[in-house]
Formats: sequence, structure tokens, C-alpha cells
Amino acid sequence: MIADLTETIIKILFIFSINVGFYSPILGWVERKQSALMQDRVGANRANILNFKIIGLFHPIADAVKVLTKEDFIPEGADKFFHTLAPFISLTPAIVTFAVIPFGGNYELWGHSVKLVIADLDVGMLFIFAFASLSTYGVVLGGWSSNNNWSLLGGLRASAQMLSYEVAMGLTLIGVFMVYGSLRLTDIGMIQENFFRWGIFMQPLGFILFLTCAIAENKRAPFDQPEAESELVAGYFTEYSSMKFVMFWMGEFLEIVTISGIVTTLFFGAWHLPFVTDQMLLSWFSPAGPNGAAILAMIVNVLVFFLKVSFFIWLLMTIRWTLPRFRYDQVMRLGWKMMLPLALLNIFITGIVLLVWK
Amino acid sequence: MEIKDFQAWVGNLPADKLKPKKVRKSIDLSLWERLYIFEVLRGLAITSRHFFGNLVGFVVPPNGKKRKIPTIYYPEEKAVMPPAYRGRPVLVANPDGTERCVACGLCEKICPAFAISIIGDERANGDRYPSSYTLDLSRCIYCGYCEEVCPKEAIVMSDEYEGLCASRRRDMLYTKEQLLRPAAQLQKRIDYVRRIYAKCNY
Repeated sequence: MIADLTETIIKILFIFSINVGFYSPILGWVERKQSALMQDRVGANRANILNFKIIGLFHPIADAVKVLTKEDFIPEGADKFFHTLAPFISLTPAIVTFAVIPFGGNYELWGHSVKLVIADLDVGMLFIFAFASLSTYGVVLGGWSSNNNWSLLGGLRASAQMLSYEVAMGLTLIGVFMVYGSLRLTDIGMIQENFFRWGIFMQPLGFILFLTCAIAENKRAPFDQPEAESELVAGYFTEYSSMKFVMFWMGEFLEIVTISGIVTTLFFGAWHLPFVTDQMLLSWFSPAGPNGAAILAMIVNVLVFFLKVSFFIWLLMTIRWTLPRFRYDQVMRLGWKMMLPLALLNIFITGIVLLVWK
Repeated sequence: MEIKDFQAWVGNLPADKLKPKKVRKSIDLSLWERLYIFEVLRGLAITSRHFFGNLVGFVVPPNGKKRKIPTIYYPEEKAVMPPAYRGRPVLVANPDGTERCVACGLCEKICPAFAISIIGDERANGDRYPSSYTLDLSRCIYCGYCEEVCPKEAIVMSDEYEGLCASRRRDMLYTKEQLLRPAAQLQKRIDYVRRIYAKCNY
């Protein structure tokens, strides 16, 4: 009981510090610096401590200080309660969804079985869908309660877009569940120990469709209709400032991390290196004793998983800074007339292949 | 064209020319391009090429090599302005430190913003000179008319682009002493002005 509790708390602290403490501040820097490099610019490099400027890595700190000391402004006529509530609703699901994503295998530590996932739910993917759709409320509430035309338009667009793409996103993953026969993400990760059973080989079309839908859910370019700068000032968070504004941004960045985590888990072998099973890792590290070997294998698992996640974050950032924004009708047409039929086709083909294979 | 004439002209046109043209938006896109996914991959390849190309020498810029990124690190590096650049107008000084200006008042007259005010005086040998030459930089619009009109090449637009503004208006009033620059420093601009305005035969 005590051991279980300690284990869970350690895992929660670990994921929380990685996501909120590392990824969300660093992604602001990555976004600036990567876009700068892609566009032949230099990017943020002026913040310094005692004249040390480690390629602009102090900018997140400067941003944090600026944001915390800024005025927290609520516009006249805004609904104060919902205006304050919206960023919380938007941020929480982004943090919570990472609970079911596994970042390592099962190991024995001092006679105690340790699973490297916070909550090993047997409806893991449904849990993620449920919370992903909750974040819609944050956006819609933020847009509505600001008492601003642009915010309201942004909120409306966000709700329409997220509802449309949620349908397609759910359907694209059904193919994955048919192949692996489970909704539990640890099971899906376990099966992908075999390199030829990685999701990208089993479901190539599903991967492309899911990535597209996930970017649309994330509301980033090319699907950033809800916050289109050139049309809606800043969309649903036009009237937000200070820490609340940053909470929307943090939610967005953490969603990127979560999407990368899901893509890694479902399509790119979760915590596994190609052709390397957990048993092989344990046998390689066996000179360190059973417990030492388990700890070393865990570290390798976590490193591999987060390296893959970082790669997909890079990919999402590259897509965001490459593609132009879709028009609103194009977003809807893509969602309902392309994504949905293709997802159904994917299910159909997967079903036929599974039947023939058996 | 009068409206009546226009109507007559329209009436003479054959009927098929009056039909609104059909806009064919996707005429230039092939099927390959309309699939979009391959074009997306091509775009990603282009941006990634720039990304990885610039990643070399990202932490430590390669020394002595021509930098790929054309950004100028402003306070440390200064942009070199071409001679055609119109910065702060300055007075050209003779080698002995006196000004070339003869206080003819043409620049004062031509200045569209009334930024220049001159008080002329005469030396003992009969040469005219400005006893006071005040340039109000808060009024100056950097048009370069003063330079164009000057018969003595005494006022030119320099390449100075720093310190053009101040917090107080009286700091923006420049006196003759503040504006005098040695001619060697402005030679490029003077040559340029000669070349350009020689084309116009006044």
C-alpha cells in the first residue's frame, strides 16, 4: 500500500516536472528558435545573466518574470467567473491526459512490480478522448465570457473545428485498436516490442490521418482558425493577459507533448528501440545486479520514449511553421469530406486484412 | 468616356464577350498537387533543409566564414549604408574648419518642412557665411531638397542614422557647430550627388 502510493507519487512528480517544468517553458524557446532557423533568422538571443546568453535559453525565465508581474486584466462587461475559469479548463486536460501514456515497461524492483505509467487504465485511449474534448469547453468559455466579438468568433470556430475533428480522430484510431485488440496503452506498447508490429507499419494511413486530426485538435497552424491573427486579432484569448494568457499557451504546448506521446505510443513503438526488447536490456545490464539492471533499463526506456516525443514535437513545430493557414470552409471540408471517409476506409481495409490474415 | 458613349460601346460588343468569365480556381493544380500530402512533404523538406543548414554553426558561428543568416546584431554591428541613403543632413567643412555654406538661403527657401533657419553675415574680406545655421531635426523630413538645391555642395545627406531623435524638442535643434563634418568623410555622398544631379539639366 505504502509502496504503491510512493511509486505513484514519484511517477506523478516525474511526469509533472518533465511536462510542466521542462517541456512547457522550453517549447516557447524551441518555437522561437526553430522558426528563426527555418526562416534564416537568428531568433531570441538577448536575455542574459551576467552577460552569459546560452543561445537564448534564458528567455523562458525572462518571459516567466514578465508574465508574472504583468497586470491581470479583465475587460468591462466580461463574465468574471467564467473568464477566470476558462484557462484552467483549457490547461488541466492537457496535463491530465499524460497520466495514461506509458513511458516504460514493467520491472521488478526489490520484489515490487513497477509499471512506468501513472494510471494503467484499460480504457486509456477513451480517457484521452474524453479529456481532449473537455478542453473545448475552456476555449468556448474563454471566447464567450470575454465580451469581445473576436473572442466569440474564435470560440465558435474552435468549437466547430474541434467537434468535427474529434469524430474523425476517434475513427482513425479504431483501426489501431482493431490491430492490437486493446484500448490499454501499455498493452499496445508491449505488442510493439516486435519492430515489425510498430503502428506505422500496421496503420500507415491511420498515422497520417491521426496526425492531421491531432494538429487540428491542437488548434495550431495550418488549423489555427480559432486564433487566426490576421483575422481575429488573437481569437479566443484576445482579452487575456498575464498568467491566464500563458495558461492557454501552456495548455497548447502540453497538448503538443501529449499528441507526440500518443503518436509515439500508438505508431512508433512506444518506449522500445527497434529490435531491442526489454528482456534484452535486462540481460545487457545484468552485471549491475537485478535491481540495478531494472533501474538502468527503466532509464533507457524513459530516454528512448522522450527522445521520440521530442522528435515528434520537432515535426509538429516544423509543420506549424511550414504550412499556411486553411480557409475556414477548407478546414470543414477537409474534416468532413476527406478525413471522415478516409478514416472509415481505413477501418474497412483493416477489417478485410485482418479477416484474410486469420 | 461619357456614360452614354460607354453604353454605345457596350451595345456594339458581341454578346459572348459580355458574359462574366468563369473563374477556374484549380486550373493550375494537377491531381498530384491537389492530393496535398506530397506537396506538404515537399514543403517540409524545404524548411527542414533550411533548419539543418542553419543548425551548423548555431551555437558557435563559424569564424571568418560568410554567415548564412544576414541578420545584423545591431548595437554591436552597424549596417553600412549605401551612398544613396538619406540620413541626417550635415554641413560640409573646408579643410581649415570653416563651412562651405555662403548663406544664400536657397535651402531655407526650398525646405518643405521649414526646418532650416539661417542668419547670414559677411567676413572682413567680403565672403558671406552663416553666422547661425539652425536645423530643426524634429521638422526635417529627410527629403534631400536642401542638398539638391545647394549651389556650393555645402549641405549633404549623410549616412548617419543614429541619434535622430531626442526626448526634448530643444535637443533636436542642431547648430552649425554640431552639423559640421569634414569633407573627406562625406566624399562618397558628394560624388554620388554630382553623378545623380548631373543627369538633370537645370
